[in-house]
Amino acid sequence: MTFKGKALGMAAAAAAMIAAGAVHANKADGVLNAAFTKELENVDSYFNSSREGVVLQRAIWDGLIYRDPATNEYKGNLATSWEWIDDTTLEFKLREGVTFHNGEPFNADDVVYTVNFVADEANGVKTQRNVNWMKSAEKIDDYTVRIHLKEAFPAAIEFLSGPVSMYPNEYYAKVGPSGMGLEPVGTGPYKVSKVVPGSHFVLEKNENYHDSPKGQPEIAKVDIRTIPDVNTQIAELFSGSLDLIWQTPADQAEKLSTMEQFTVANESTMRIGYLTLDAAGRTGEDNPFTKLKVRQAVAHAIDREALVGALLKGKSKVVSSACFPSQFGCEQDLTSYEYDPEKAKALLAEAGYPDGFSTDFYAYRDRDYAEAISSFLNAVGIETNFNMLQYSALRELRMKEGTPVSFQTWGSYSINDTSAITSQFFKFGALDDARDEEIRDWLNVADSATDPDVRKENYSKALKKIADEAYWVPMFSYNTNYVYTKEIDYTPTPDEVLRFTTMRWK
Amino acid sequence: MSDATTNMPTDPMLEAIVGPTPGQMLRKRIFGHQGLMIGVVVLGLLVLVAIFAPLLAPHDPYAQSLMARMKPPVFLGGTWEHPLGTDHLGRDYLSRLIYGARVSLLIGLVAATISGVIGTAMGVAAGYFGGKVDAVVTYLINVRLAMPVVLVALAVVAILGGSLQVVIVVLGLLLWDRFAVVMRSSTLQVRGREYVAAAKAVGCSTPRVLMSEIMPNIANNLIVVMTLEMAHAILLEAALSFLGLGVQPPTPSWGLMVSEGKNMMLFEPWMVLIPGAVLFVLVLAINLMGDGLRDVTAPENRS
Repeated sequence: MTFKGKALGMAAAAAAMIAAGAVHANKADGVLNAAFTKELENVDSYFNSSREGVVLQRAIWDGLIYRDPATNEYKGNLATSWEWIDDTTLEFKLREGVTFHNGEPFNADDVVYTVNFVADEANGVKTQRNVNWMKSAEKIDDYTVRIHLKEAFPAAIEFLSGPVSMYPNEYYAKVGPSGMGLEPVGTGPYKVSKVVPGSHFVLEKNENYHDSPKGQPEIAKVDIRTIPDVNTQIAELFSGSLDLIWQTPADQAEKLSTMEQFTVANESTMRIGYLTLDAAGRTGEDNPFTKLKVRQAVAHAIDREALVGALLKGKSKVVSSACFPSQFGCEQDLTSYEYDPEKAKALLAEAGYPDGFSTDFYAYRDRDYAEAISSFLNAVGIETNFNMLQYSALRELRMKEGTPVSFQTWGSYSINDTSAITSQFFKFGALDDARDEEIRDWLNVADSATDPDVRKENYSKALKKIADEAYWVPMFSYNTNYVYTKEIDYTPTPDEVLRFTTMRWK
Repeated sequence: MSDATTNMPTDPMLEAIVGPTPGQMLRKRIFGHQGLMIGVVVLGLLVLVAIFAPLLAPHDPYAQSLMARMKPPVFLGGTWEHPLGTDHLGRDYLSRLIYGARVSLLIGLVAATISGVIGTAMGVAAGYFGGKVDAVVTYLINVRLAMPVVLVALAVVAILGGSLQVVIVVLGLLLWDRFAVVMRSSTLQVRGREYVAAAKAVGCSTPRVLMSEIMPNIANNLIVVMTLEMAHAILLEAALSFLGLGVQPPTPSWGLMVSEGKNMMLFEPWMVLIPGAVLFVLVLAINLMGDGLRDVTAPENRS
């Protein structure tokens, strides 16, 4: 053996020893090690608003209804059937024989308690929009329940299949949200065996999981750690102490996909990225963005195809309407602005800015996308003063004073309905930069109508006007990369929810 | 002595006695000091690069080309079109490095000057006047030393928003402590000297004593601290920019380049290594120069 050979052999032996010492996760011991990037403040799904929270919510709890992510068909989960009694009353027949992880049986009392608790604003559910359409719940008998709505709300079924999950009444009354966050109890496919707030979560398979449309879990144990740095996650993936990471940036995912021991799957998400322009003149009457031609110039200045092709990659698409294309009512047949810097310059000149102008540009995430966008604006003469703020700081600034132009994104809470995005931002709320009464009125009709055709027609009118007026410059939809070892068999869904229940060992 | 050498150049006895002049000795020490020479040459080159950036840079450092992202440098199989490759938005790395030199040097120089003025004024006043003035200045120095620079800079920049001007001013207002400490003790050393007493005896005003008797005799220490603080300011700017709170894009800054390359560290390490290496060379050159200047101007302290 040459010296080089010896050295290599020793290195390999050392590596093997290190590997043997590490906690190894694999098919053999049935533990799947995964990483979260962000800290989760409270596991109680009504008291966090993060994607990580949604992932745990879907594993630990069940809703009355389940939307099949492949077919978008609604199926009964904790309810077996439901019907609209009138515009504001929904009646459910509940599944019998379901028990919570702590042994408490599931029945109408749990539903009534949960709905009444979360619908009461005083209890401070973090994302009020998820629950504030419900007024109260009423028990008819042990397995029949009615939910009363405040007003007609066609997206009720969608919400009940998503963020509204059922809690055990006796346990929740005793421990409250903070206790639930430390020792969560639900009916879901996984029970929680360990919570270290913010950093470490261990899930174990629920052996007595009911016959749910979510399917039966196979992976015996899921060990989730919070690892904020993507490079550390990748290094742990290489060393074998992680089996699955997600939300991996496009460039790294591309490199990982060339390595044969990993599967890189890409799925689109409902999140879209857009520029919101101060058309209402909130930052000053003489703000250039109050002029239609300036806004159109911005739309023509950005090469959205290049952003998608070079930066976002994967299943991202260019979007032209102010919503995600799969959402109900998201009109696609409207004005679209092609990349044409010359036309943008001409429009600026027509608007009275032949030499361009200077403006503050704000962003809170995806610094590289934001930089690329601001560079496109610089190229046509709109000199941008780049400001990167924390999400909460930028949100507050936008609510109080507005911003001339800011790069925003919105994920619609994965709700497949235009009301979850367009109506959020164009109905004279604090974040409405357009303040267009006509659009508000159309959206009001669309949000509360029960006839799908009326809804579609009004959303269409509103979205067309938003595009014509270029209040927003919608740019692209996001995607998520999921990277996992070849031992795992998993097909991600387009709603950015990691489903441990459907994962299998190969 | 010079008369003697010019009038009797041929006298061998006298020639042996006459040594080199102080100027000659200084020159010899300067040119004989390897560290100083390396520092000065490297720093000089970087200053020239910064001054002539528009002539030297092969591309516009702001021109992005999303179709040509992360092209490798020429020694890793790239092309001469982009000798050091391109960054995550397809901008030429070499051009950004060249323009980044301007930012680093400007921040180093201006921040060190601002803090130099503050620190020297405080230090000299404390050392010369003593008593209550000294007590107040010493208290201020202690307060300043108790504040972690990076943390305070982060907080201030986070409140005021990051920009070149803000970073320069914040660093300038934070880095005066070493100037004050060194200038205070240097002044204490010289204020009792005979020439100071003589100047006072002939009736010189206090400002005159400070400016023409004290300052010239402690200037060598000032220069040494100045170089140290320049290097310090440059590193702090890089750290702030790395954390996203320093110079804002698209302004090229080496710290920002390291930060932008960090995500791809495992796959494209050159994106971090190149700006990191340049930053290392600049700070090393400034420190070598500072060390050398100390050795040359105060040979008796040489260890």
